[in-house]
Amino acid sequence: MAYETLLAEYEARRAKALAMGGPEKLEKRRKAGQLNARERLALLVDPGSFMESGLFGTSGVYPEQAEETPTDGKIAGYGRINGRDVAVVVNDFTVKGASTSATNSKKVAHMKRTATERGVPLVIIGESTGARLPDAMGSRGMGQLLGNDLTQFRRSREAPLATAVLGPSFGSSAWLACCADFAVMHKGATMAVSSPRLVEMALGEKADVEQLGGWRLHAETTGLVDQVVDTEAEVFQAIRRFLSYLPSHHMEAPPDAPVPAGSGADMKTVFSILPESRTQVYDMRRIIKALVDQDTFFELKPRFGKSAVTALARLGGKSVGIVANNPLHRGGALDADACRKITDFLVLCDSFNVPIVLLADTPGFQIGTEAEKAGAPGKIMNFMNAMTLVTVPRLSVIIRKSYGRAYVCMGGGRHSDDVAAWPTAEVSFMSPEFATRIVHGVGPGEPGFEEAFADIRKGSDVWGLASVFAAQAVIRPEETRDYLIRMLDVHQLRTTRGVGQHLMRTWPTSY
Amino acid sequence: MARIEVKSEITGTVWQVKAKPGEKVESGDTLIVIESMKMEIPVITEDPGTVKEIRVKEKDAVAEGQVVAVLDG
Repeated sequence: MAYETLLAEYEARRAKALAMGGPEKLEKRRKAGQLNARERLALLVDPGSFMESGLFGTSGVYPEQAEETPTDGKIAGYGRINGRDVAVVVNDFTVKGASTSATNSKKVAHMKRTATERGVPLVIIGESTGARLPDAMGSRGMGQLLGNDLTQFRRSREAPLATAVLGPSFGSSAWLACCADFAVMHKGATMAVSSPRLVEMALGEKADVEQLGGWRLHAETTGLVDQVVDTEAEVFQAIRRFLSYLPSHHMEAPPDAPVPAGSGADMKTVFSILPESRTQVYDMRRIIKALVDQDTFFELKPRFGKSAVTALARLGGKSVGIVANNPLHRGGALDADACRKITDFLVLCDSFNVPIVLLADTPGFQIGTEAEKAGAPGKIMNFMNAMTLVTVPRLSVIIRKSYGRAYVCMGGGRHSDDVAAWPTAEVSFMSPEFATRIVHGVGPGEPGFEEAFADIRKGSDVWGLASVFAAQAVIRPEETRDYLIRMLDVHQLRTTRGVGQHLMRTWPTSY
Repeated sequence: MARIEVKSEITGTVWQVKAKPGEKVESGDTLIVIESMKMEIPVITEDPGTVKEIRVKEKDAVAEGQVVAVLDG
């Protein structure tokens, strides 16, 4: 019967498409310990939730390549993550290195358009060689394949974009990771503009693949990836977890979550994290972990600009973005990288309606020739400007030091909706050691220094700030969690149901 | 085994050297303490490993970005 023949053909074509680049290539990956694209997809989305789009797509440039280009190398479709809809693209490296060509470009564009217009997150799982050759060769190839979709790399942050960098990630996998709100990288993956082979041909530079685009470069120096993980399973866990803090699109508030048992239990002893001497340092992450709901601390860029901590978390079941100084690194002095990291994070939070909590303990912005070479004043002003454009609720707590311009950037004055301070807070234009020298002309060890120093320090204590209403509350450290939960409730955006104005939605995706 | 260079984040003077060559260290351990901006700033390793070299001694001046220790990790 004709229908049976048709259905048999359908099943044969379907099996062929699902088989990716064929058993040999799949076996090679298995032996190398790499998951294939469909195994990755299974780890990413909820079981049974995937609805594929473009399963029968093949090369749109060379019809004779249909057999060797199942799905045209990029698997696309709709799935759910923790029950919420997402649009997904998983690069299939076994099909022509998941290189970009005509049909798969249409598939990716379709996913991005649906995500943007219907308000669902887009997830791109990268591993690709770049533009397919010879498809994009020559003026005809270029004219046909490149630049015909104005929205391909446009970010106006209507819906979250999360990406993974796996294996060799050149071309679209690298570009999209750099456009993303969240990029997680697998150790051993490479993200770069160009492969070591082309670099050597063009420049004669023998570049080690790790130096050219390895995880250490991106986690520590470029700051282009948000997290690095050891296993592929952790890649997909990280994406699922990231999306749990965010709304599906910019016109809704982030979802609430139950408050885990044990949250706040460490608040009783939180004060003891501060060292007795103001010249000694501590790890601010210990304070953050005590403050937020149990096990909800999700740090972004932990190895980059380490004198600042940026993390998603929950307080009383509500998503918050934490921006904190970390005295453990540089004594908490904010360098250009820390400013870049914070600016990036403020844009993320404000664009997706996540309230912000700032925790200050900083001697100020990093000074010195290295800081100036890194363009510190420009980075500081990006941070400052972002703080003037934030429209989500924003609270700040001065834990210990807050000096100079950094006092303002970290939420001082009207740069947060309410300012609270611990009794340990000290605020002034500059650190008292240097102020004593400049105001009184005496340095440490010189006659009169101790008296002048004590006088300057006294003038920097919390009570000055409280008396002129520059701090609206002075709180006991152990009350900080309850204070923040209550004040987030007070300042919630009732008139817009938790939706901010997104004034930075078109800001760059890296600085 | 990767060679891991540990750099000072900050310009200052070496206050204390805490780690010795041959010692095993964990992520988050303090190798050296630098005095800078009137504060005691630790040089911390992000990676676990074995200390191969300590390149500074007490009272040495160090510059931002200077390699102060090398680990095998």
